[in-house]
Amino acid sequence: MSTATPVIRLANIEKVYQTRTIETVALSQVNLTINRGEFVSVMGPSGCGKSTLLSLMGLLDEPSSGTIEIDGRPVTSYSDKELAGLRNHKIGFVFQSYHLINDLSVIDNVEMPLLYRAGIGGGERRKRALDALDKVGLSARTRHFPAQLSGGQRQRVAIARALAGAPEIILADEPTGNLDSVMGEEIMELLLGLNREQGTTLVMVTHDEQQALKTQRLVRFFDGRQVA
Amino acid sequence: MIRHLFTLMWNRRRANALLIVEILLAFVVLFAVGTIGVDLWANYRQPLGFEYEQAWQVNLAFGSQPRAERFATLQQVLARLRALPGVQGVAVSAANTPFSFNNSQMSVDDTDAQGKVVHSVETVNRFDIGPELREVLHLNVVAGRWFDPRDAAPGAHGSIVIDERLRQAFFPSNAQAIGKLLSFDKKQHRVVGVVQAYRADGELQNPVPAVMQPVFAADTAFLPDALLLRVAPGSGAALEKRLTDEVRRIGPTWSSRVRTLPEMHASQIKMLLTQPILLVVMSVFLLLNVALGLFGVLWLNINQRRAELGVRRALGAPAGAIARLIVGETLTLTTFGLGLGLLIAVQFPLLGAFEVKASVYLTAMALAAVGLYGLAAVCAFYPGRLAAGIRPAVALREE
Repeated sequence: MSTATPVIRLANIEKVYQTRTIETVALSQVNLTINRGEFVSVMGPSGCGKSTLLSLMGLLDEPSSGTIEIDGRPVTSYSDKELAGLRNHKIGFVFQSYHLINDLSVIDNVEMPLLYRAGIGGGERRKRALDALDKVGLSARTRHFPAQLSGGQRQRVAIARALAGAPEIILADEPTGNLDSVMGEEIMELLLGLNREQGTTLVMVTHDEQQALKTQRLVRFFDGRQVA
Repeated sequence: MIRHLFTLMWNRRRANALLIVEILLAFVVLFAVGTIGVDLWANYRQPLGFEYEQAWQVNLAFGSQPRAERFATLQQVLARLRALPGVQGVAVSAANTPFSFNNSQMSVDDTDAQGKVVHSVETVNRFDIGPELREVLHLNVVAGRWFDPRDAAPGAHGSIVIDERLRQAFFPSNAQAIGKLLSFDKKQHRVVGVVQAYRADGELQNPVPAVMQPVFAADTAFLPDALLLRVAPGSGAALEKRLTDEVRRIGPTWSSRVRTLPEMHASQIKMLLTQPILLVVMSVFLLLNVALGLFGVLWLNINQRRAELGVRRALGAPAGAIARLIVGETLTLTTFGLGLGLLIAVQFPLLGAFEVKASVYLTAMALAAVGLYGLAAVCAFYPGRLAAGIRPAVALREE
């Protein structure tokens, strides 16, 4: 499914966190290209900059230096609104701790990305959210609240939320980190299926070597540098 | 987005219950103050029906003089005062002069040929006044005529002039009121004229229908103890002293107190506004507390929801949408509190409570609602900006 068309390109990326007394280099001289339809896993010890890398790819943060290109266009000069639009249309996020809103039902959580997309009415939002929940096998749980679901089900909801906006890219930050091995396998299968069947580009941060080996490419980080 | 806001706030209603109660209380206070304010304003906007700028009042105390002699002395006093330079007119009056906080109220009936009451107005201000009052206070006769010497002649029915408010209670038009009989004091009185609504109680008091009955020089049944004077512009302390001196000279046991109607008017306004102003001051403090509470809760809320706000940003919400979300949530909560408040408030016009017009209640409700939405929006504005400034990567990393 993967093609050689770059969808995300990081060039000479540096990310430094600066406080009054200390300067922490999170990423240094990162050059990484993610091609359309690829499933890339990122591994490395805690604090090596994996999550920072994902934040930069997801346009949630800005690099201290270097260039990020999405679909060949550098995003440096984009306004907040344009970046938000890119995140909304092109990128879906899956987090280790799910980050569902506990006071909203499953269906309302899944609809959330579409709330920030102009021109989609309530009926269309609901339809797309139901389709996404169907894909993750949770169409029977639409009225439940996150607290009523298991960890695996919550992560499925989070994936459905990422899918609802039909993004080209899904960035998953340790999506199986809080799950037992069986649940973790289920989620991994789901992500592999998305990549295989829908051609979704996936970048997954993980500590699990076994799962990383199932992806098309493995990128390793150590002390903010890409080592493999 | 509106549905999303309502869903979110409805699902968080337990967590926000105290805030909703606080908003409800703030609405009740604003509604109460608004009702009083709108009622006062509605009263204030209606014409008084007379001119008081060049009018003075002289209160008379007769001392030890025998009652039978007072009538003659009063006529001498009237003649003397009318002759004074600077005095343009003098009318006798009962103590319920304009802005005096005195009133004389009774019920007035419309009876049929058999003397059976067909319609009654329970509260009517009665004014026993000299026929010169029209010139002194520049009363505006809108139908029929004012009192003249014909009304002094003894007859079956005494003459009265009613004001438009009383006319509206009994007759469909001013013209149709003329010549009609109205009953009070167990006697029938013929309406000879209609004047513009006469509001001697002042513009802040609820208007009350009025009837005027003439007091002529020959009357010895009723002794007026107040005089109303029209004085020349620029009259001051010298004329005031002259008046009291003349009264004392003609009636050695008499004493008098002169006050200008503008003074009495200002004093009445001050007195009647004291309570509403105190109420406003107290409610301002209360609203300030509500505002600070709301502000504090929102601030805390945002700190507790950093991860949620970070996720919303990650899912594509621009900073402006986050600010609007916080303001929108606050306005939605306000709507919940307001809805409950309106359920309470709407009972007042439905029950006709406190004899206040429904339009006053409805205006007060609208003002309270607008005020509360404004307060909520102001309180949510800064927390909304703070929330919009949350960097998603930082918020998500913290989690």
